[in-house]
Amino acid sequence: MVDLHVNICGVELKNPVIPASGTFGFGREFDELYDISLLGAVATKGLTREPRLGNPTPRIAESRGVILNAVGLQNPGVEHFIEHDLDWLRRKTRVIANVAGATLEDYAAICRRLDGLVDFIELNISCPNVKCGGMAFGIRPEDVKEVTHVSKQALKNTPLIVKLSPNAANISENARAAEAGGADCISLINTLTGMAIDIERRRPVLANNTGGVSGAGIKPVAVRMVYEAAHAVKIPVIGMGGITCAEDALEFLMAGASAVQVGTQNFTDTLACPKIIAGLETWCDGHGVGRVRDLVGALKIN
Amino acid sequence: MRELTAAVLENVRIAENIYSLTFATEEAVPVLPGQFCMVGVAGYPLRRPLAVCKAEGERVTVCYQVKGGGTKSLVGYKQGHRLSVLLPLGNGFSLTPDMKRVAVVGGGVGVFPLISAIRAYAGEREISAYMGFRNRAAVCLRYEMQRADKLVIATDDGSEGYRGTAVQAFMEDIERAKPDVVLSCGPTPMLRALKNAVSGRNIPVYVSLEERMGCGIGACLVCVCDKKDGTHARVCRDGPVFEIGEVEI
Ligand SMILES: Cc1cc2nc3c(=O)[nH]c(=O)nc-3n(C[C@H](O)[C@H](O)[C@H](O)COP(=O)(O)OP(=O)(O)OC[C@H]3O[C@@H](n4cnc5c(N)ncnc54)[C@H](O)[C@@H]3O)c2cc1C
Ligand SMILES: Cc1cc2nc3c(=O)[nH]c(=O)nc-3n(C[C@H](O)[C@H](O)[C@H](O)COP(=O)(O)O)c2cc1C
Ligand code: FES
Repeated sequence: MVDLHVNICGVELKNPVIPASGTFGFGREFDELYDISLLGAVATKGLTREPRLGNPTPRIAESRGVILNAVGLQNPGVEHFIEHDLDWLRRKTRVIANVAGATLEDYAAICRRLDGLVDFIELNISCPNVKCGGMAFGIRPEDVKEVTHVSKQALKNTPLIVKLSPNAANISENARAAEAGGADCISLINTLTGMAIDIERRRPVLANNTGGVSGAGIKPVAVRMVYEAAHAVKIPVIGMGGITCAEDALEFLMAGASAVQVGTQNFTDTLACPKIIAGLETWCDGHGVGRVRDLVGALKIN
Repeated sequence: MRELTAAVLENVRIAENIYSLTFATEEAVPVLPGQFCMVGVAGYPLRRPLAVCKAEGERVTVCYQVKGGGTKSLVGYKQGHRLSVLLPLGNGFSLTPDMKRVAVVGGGVGVFPLISAIRAYAGEREISAYMGFRNRAAVCLRYEMQRADKLVIATDDGSEGYRGTAVQAFMEDIERAKPDVVLSCGPTPMLRALKNAVSGRNIPVYVSLEERMGCGIGACLVCVCDKKDGTHARVCRDGPVFEIGEVEI
C-alpha cells in the first residue's frame, strides 16, 4: 500500500490532495457529503480584513470544458472565520488560509492576524492593487516580490504560500520573485482572465464582464506553468488548474508539484477529492510506487 | 443532501420544448416540496439546477425546458443511462398548519417546483392554482395541476384558458380564493407583478428564485441574491424559497 504522505515546509499532510480556494467554502457543506478529515488540507475561501459583498450576479458562466467566475471575493471577513470556522476546520485537517487585500497594508495586517493560527497562509495576489491603478499584485515580478516581502515580514510562525497568477509575462520570473520576497512555497495557477458573451443579448454573460477561467480546459497551460515554476525555484510548489481525476493530479506531481489543489471539479462532482485520493492510491499500487512523494518532479524531459 | 448515481427510467417530451425526466436513485431520498437537485450532464463542468416535481421513494421526476447546450444534451439521455445527481438541495416551501388556503402562482418553468407543492398539500389544504404558459402548446402536466381544488391555466395568447398572465388570473380570483399564503415561482417580471399586486394585503408570499449556480450546496457564493437588510443570501442553500419581502427582486 502506497504511502501518500507529503511534507510541505515541515508540515505533514496525510495526502497531497487539497480542495482549492473559493470552491469549498470553509469545508462545512462538503463535510455533509463526506468526512473532510480525509483531505490532505483545505484551502479556505479568500479572506479579507473586512467582510466583502462581492460582485453582482451572474457570477458564473460556462464555456467548453471551462467555467468563468467573478465572485469578487465575497467573504465574511477574517474575524468571522476565526470565530466561527477555524477551530472546527483545524480539528478536521490542515488549514490553508487563502487571503487577499487591496493594499500592501491589508496583506500585512491579515497575515499578522492569522500568524500561528493556521497551518499555511496562501496569498491570493490576483487582486487589483488600489494604489497602483488597479493592476493586480501578481502581474509584475517587482510587485510579486514586494507583496510577498511585506506579508512575510508579518509572519513569525506560519509558512507563506504565494499563489501565482497565470496572467503574467513570465511565470518563472514571478516564481523567482516570490522566492526572493521570502515565500516558503508557491502555488499555481490561479484563474486566467476571460470573457463569455451571450450573443442574443450582445452582452457578456458575467455581470462583471470578465472573470477567471478554470476547469479541465486550462490544464495543459497549468501543467506547463507548474513545470516552469518548479524548475525556477528551490521552494516547494503546489500545482492546480483543471484537475479532474487522479491521472491529472499525477501530471502535476511529475511536473514538480509536491501537492495539488482541485477546484472546479468539486462542482462537477462533489466527491472529486476523495475519488482522486483513492485513484492515486490505486495508480501507485498498480505501478509499484511505494511513496507518492517519490513522483514529485519525476518527469523526464524529451 | 446526497451525491447520487441515478439510472434514467424515462425521458419524454411533454410539451413544446419541455421534457419530463424520471430517474431512480440507489436508495429512497426524502424530498420536500420546492427542493431541487443538480443534474450532471456529461461534457459540461457545471450541473444544471432543476426543481423536483415529484419524488416517490427512489423515483424522482424533474421537468426541463430545452434552453442551451446542457438541457439540449440532456434530451439524449435514454432509459438505463447513468446520471450524477445531487439531491435534495435548498430549503423548500414550509407552511404552518394555519395556512389552510394556499394559492400557487407559476409561470413558465416556474410551474415545476409548484407541482411538488400541489402534490404535497393536495387533500390537506385548499389549493387554488394559477399557472401561466406562453400558449397552448406549452401547457403540460395538466394531470398534476388538476390535483389543486381550483386550477386556472393562463396563456399569453389566450389559446387555452385565461388570456393573460398567471398573476392577472390570480388577482381576478383572489377574493374568492382568500389565500392564507401564496407560493410562487416564475420569471422576475412576474414575481415583481405579484409583489405589487398583493402588497398591502398582508398575505405571506413565498417565492422560489433562480440564479446561476456553481456548487449548489452553499460553498462557493456564486448564486447569491440581495436581501433587504443589505446582506446576501445563497439561493442554493438559504433558498431557493424566500419570503418575498426578505429579498430584492
Ligand atoms: C433552483 C432552480 C430550479 C430550477 N428548476 C428548473 C426546472 O424545474 N425546470 C427548468 O426547465 N428549469 C429550471 N431551472 C432553470 C434551469 O436551471 C436552466 O434553464 C438550465 O440550467 C439551463 O441550462 P442550459 O444548459 O440549457 O443553458 P445554458 O445557457 O447553456 O447554461 C449555461 C449555464 O448557465 C446556467 N443557467 C442558464 N440559465 C439559467 C437559469 N435560468 N437559472 C439557473 N441557471 C441557469 C446553467 O445552469 C449553466 O451553468 C431552475 C433553476 C434554479 C436555480
Ligand atoms: C468560484 C471560484 C472561486 C474562486 N475563489 C478564489 C479565491 O477566493 N482565492 C483564490 O486564490 N482563488 C480562487 N479561485 C481559483 C481556484 O482556487 C483555482 O486556482 C482555479 O480555479 C484553478 O483550479 P481549477 O481549474 O481546478 O478550478 C476560485 C475559483 C473558482 C472557480
Ligand atoms: S451555488 Fe455555490 S453557494 Fe450556491
